[in-house]
Amino acid sequence: MRETHEAASGSVIGKPLHRAEDARLLTGRGRFVADLRLPRMMHAAFVRSPHAHARVRAIDATRAVLAPGVAAVITAADLPDVSLAHVNQVPGLVKTPQPVLARDLVRFVGQAVAVVVAEDRYLAEDALELVDVSYEELPAVVSADAAKPEGHVPLLPEVPDDVVYRDHRAFGDPAGAFASAARVFTSTYRASRFVAAPLEGRGCVASFEPASRTLLFWSSTQSPHLLRRRLALTTGLPEHRIRVMMPDVGGGFGQKIAISPEEVAVAFASVQLGIPVKWVEDRRENLMAAPHAKEQIIRLELAVGSDGTFLGLRARIVGDIGAYSYNSASALIEPFMAAKLLPGVYRIDNYEYDVQAVLTNKSPTAPYRGVGWTAAQAAREILIDEAARGLGADPVELRAQNMIRSDELPRMSAPGLLYDSGSYLESLRLAAQTAGYEEFLVEQERARAEGRYLGIGFSPYVEPAGWGTEGMNQIGLHSFPSNDSARVSMDASGKVTVSVGTVAIGQGHDTVMAQIAADALGVEFEDVTVLFADTSSVPVSLAGTRASRSTVVGGGAVGLAAEDLRGKLLRIAGLMLETDPRGLDIAGGLVQARETPSISLSVREVAEAAFFDIGVRAAEPEPNLTCTRLHDPGATCSNGCIAAIVEVDAETGAITVRRLIGVEDCGTVVNPMLVDGQLAGGLAQGLGGALLERIVYDERGQIVTTTLMEYLLPTAADMPNVEIKHLSSPSPNTWRGIKGMAEAGLVGGPAAIANAVADALAPFGARVGSLPLTAEAVVRMIGA
Amino acid sequence: MSVNGRAVTLTVPARMTLADLLRDKLELTGTHLGCEHGVCGACTVLVDGRSTRSCIVYAGQLDGAEVTTIEGLSPPDGTLNPIQQAFRERHGLQCGFCTPGLVVTIHELLGDNPSPTEAAVREALSGNVCRCTGYQGIVAAVLDVARGASRAATAKS
Repeated sequence: MRETHEAASGSVIGKPLHRAEDARLLTGRGRFVADLRLPRMMHAAFVRSPHAHARVRAIDATRAVLAPGVAAVITAADLPDVSLAHVNQVPGLVKTPQPVLARDLVRFVGQAVAVVVAEDRYLAEDALELVDVSYEELPAVVSADAAKPEGHVPLLPEVPDDVVYRDHRAFGDPAGAFASAARVFTSTYRASRFVAAPLEGRGCVASFEPASRTLLFWSSTQSPHLLRRRLALTTGLPEHRIRVMMPDVGGGFGQKIAISPEEVAVAFASVQLGIPVKWVEDRRENLMAAPHAKEQIIRLELAVGSDGTFLGLRARIVGDIGAYSYNSASALIEPFMAAKLLPGVYRIDNYEYDVQAVLTNKSPTAPYRGVGWTAAQAAREILIDEAARGLGADPVELRAQNMIRSDELPRMSAPGLLYDSGSYLESLRLAAQTAGYEEFLVEQERARAEGRYLGIGFSPYVEPAGWGTEGMNQIGLHSFPSNDSARVSMDASGKVTVSVGTVAIGQGHDTVMAQIAADALGVEFEDVTVLFADTSSVPVSLAGTRASRSTVVGGGAVGLAAEDLRGKLLRIAGLMLETDPRGLDIAGGLVQARETPSISLSVREVAEAAFFDIGVRAAEPEPNLTCTRLHDPGATCSNGCIAAIVEVDAETGAITVRRLIGVEDCGTVVNPMLVDGQLAGGLAQGLGGALLERIVYDERGQIVTTTLMEYLLPTAADMPNVEIKHLSSPSPNTWRGIKGMAEAGLVGGPAAIANAVADALAPFGARVGSLPLTAEAVVRMIGA
Repeated sequence: MSVNGRAVTLTVPARMTLADLLRDKLELTGTHLGCEHGVCGACTVLVDGRSTRSCIVYAGQLDGAEVTTIEGLSPPDGTLNPIQQAFRERHGLQCGFCTPGLVVTIHELLGDNPSPTEAAVREALSGNVCRCTGYQGIVAAVLDVARGASRAATAKS
C-alpha cells in the first residue's frame, strides 16, 4: 500500500489518457436510442396504471385503435402469459411473477397496462386517453413496516404479510457481546427512496423482419446479452436470430441492468406489426415506472466496551422493495446487501442480522449504484458518530481504534466477505489530514461562538467490487455466474480489435480496455479498437456492466487474451527471426531481441506473415491472431474514506457543503482520470441522496414526485470542488491487482454529509434519522 | 427561420416543440431531451443568440428566428472548438447526454463573461443537470477556456 499517482514508466496502464469517444459526443454526433430512425418505424406509448393497487376488470381499446395514425393497441390479452422473473433464484425468496403488461392486477402507479403504436409519439399519446380501462381499486400498501391498510389485499395471494424474503443469521457470539457491553447505542435509520435518474431515460427500438424471423433490437441497456436471452425466452424467437445492439447510452447507474417490461412489449409490438417500433420514455415515466432504489429501515444496536471497543452489532433490516422482485432477485439488492456489509471496515465479529424484503405498491426496486451498501454505510457511520458523542470520544480516534489493520488482511468478515487487501486506517488518516481536521476543530469552536454551525463528517468504506464467482458466492448470489470472456484479435495490418461484453455507458470502458490491451500486447494505444455494443460481435456477458466489475472482470479477460496473443506474436516473430522467442520483447509496436535491439520486426510485419506467409502458417498450429480468454477473479474489495465539511444555517435549515474529500484505494489504476470521474460523479449522487433527492408517495400510493421540479437533482451550484487523493492496495486475486471502484461516491458520500450535519448541529442534540436533509428536516432536527 | 445559418421553411403542427422540430424534422439530433419540462437543460440551444430550452418553446413561435444548435457550434471539419477541446482534456463528459446543452450554455456564458470566477461558473451552469461527472471536469474545462490556457499534454491526446 502506497500513496500513488504515477504509472510505471513505459506502461500505458496508469496513464490518464483522453477518451476516443469524446469528439463524437461533444459535437452532437452521439447516437442515442432516441436518435435512431428506421424506414417505416412507428412509435410506442404506454397506458399506465393511475392506481397503486387495483384489479383490472376490462380494457377496451376500440376507440383508441380508430384514432388518427394508430396502427395497434396491444394488451396482455394479445401476449403469451410470460413472466420476466428469471429461472435462477435465491433460496427462500418467493418468486414474484412480473408481467409484461398488467393482466388482472396493477400493483403500482405507472405500471404498464397497454401499448399504443402510432405514426408519431404525439399521436400515440393522444390515443392513450382513448383506451378505456376499468379498475376496481384495492387498498395500497405504502410502507414496509407500518400496519397494513384496512381491507389489506396482499400483493401476492400466497404471501399474506407481503414479506417475500426473511433471514436471520448470527455470527460469533452476539449475545455474549451485548451481555458484556459497557454501553449499547441504538438507532433507527430510515433510508429514503431515491433513484438513478440517468439523464437519458430508458428506450428501445425493435425491428422484426417477418421474412427471416429475425429481431434486431437496440436498447439503452447495460446488459445486451442478458436482454437478448430474455427476449428469446419471452417472445419465443430463437436466441441466435435476435441481435441486440447498444447505441450510445446516456447513463445507467444500475437502472438499465434489468430488462424492462416495456422493452419486451415493444418487441412483441414489432413482431405483431412486422415493422420497427420505437419507445423512448419521458422523465415522468422514468420517475414513476423505472426501477427505484435505496428504501430500507435499518435498526441498529452497537455494543461497546468500556475502552471504546466495538464488541458486537445487531441489525434489523426491512427493505421496501416495491411491487415485485424485478427480474427475480432485485428484492434482495437493498436489504440483503446491507446485511452483508454492515460490519464495514471494523473488527466486528459478533454480528447478528434479521432481514426482510417487503412488497409494497410502489415501483419495484432494482440496483442503483452502491445498492444496499449506501443505506448500511449511513446507518452504521451515523451511529458510530453518535457513540463517539455519547462516549466523549473523538469520532476519528474511535473509528481508528476499531478498524481492521492492513496487515490483518486478507480477512473474512463475519458475514463471509473476503477483504483481500486495503488501507482502511490509512485512508481515514489521509482524509482527516486533507481536511485539516485539527485546524477545523478550532475553526468550528470559533464559529459556534459566533452562532455559525460548521460540521465535519467521516465515512470510511469498504466496497466489494469486481465480483467473480467467488465474490458472488460470498455475497450470497450463488446461482448467477459473474465471469466474462474477452476476445483480442489482430488483423494483417497489425491493428487490434478487442471484443468484450462489459459495456460502456459513459465510464469510458473503450479507453480502459484499449489501455489494457495495448499494455499487455506491447502495441500503441491508438492501434486498438474496442467493441462491446453488439451481441453478434462480442463474447457472451450475461452480467454486462454492473457492480463495478468491468475493469476487473472484463479488463482482466482482455489482459489475459492479450497476453496470449502476445505469446503467439512472439512465437511467430521467433520463427521469422530464427531466434528463441523468449529472448524477444514487444513494446510500442516493435518486436525486438532483448540482447541485440537491432534485430527487430514491426508488429505489422509479424501480423502480415501470420496471415500470408506460407511457411509461418505451416509451422504455427493456430496462426490466426485471435485469442479468447475467460477471467473469473477471486473476491476483492476496494476501500476509501469520504469526508465532508458543511455549514448549516440554523434559522433556515439551509446546508452548504463547503468541502468534499474523497480518498480512494482501488488497487492498480488503469486510467486515473476516469477513476476520479467515477468518484466525483458518485459523490454528486451521494450529495443528491443526502440533501435533495426523494421519491414521495402519498398515503394512497400516488407518486407525488413525477418531474424534476419535485425530484431535485444536484447542480453545479450544489457541489463543491471534490478533493481526491489516492492510495493503492493491489488485489492479490485479480489480473494486475485491479479493483473496481465506481460505486464509492454513493456508498460513502451520504454518510459523510449526514455526519457533518449532525456534527454541526451537535449543540442542539440533533440526530439524523433519515435523509434527505431538507431545510424542513433540519429545522425539525434543531427544534426537537 | 434559420438554423445554423441555413434558411428553413416548414409547416409544423402548432404543438410541435422546437426540440422536436430540430430532432425529427431537421435530423439535428445533437440536441437532447432529458425532461421535457425545462429543468435539465439538455435541450439548450441558442435562439437569436440567447440560450433557450427548446423543449418548452413551440416551433411555431420562432418564425424569423435564428437558431444555433451544437452542430452549428462545432467546426465543420470534425475538429473541436476550444470549449469542446477543454472538455476532452478535463474529462468533462462521461455519457455525453448533457454535453451539447452544456457546450451551448458555456458558449453563451463566456461570450457574456470571458473571465468568470469558479462560483460564477457554477451558478451559470446550475441550469444544466449532469448526472455522471459531478461537474468536476466541466467546471475545470470552463475555467481553462476562460484562462485561455490550452492544457499542456500531460496526457496523450
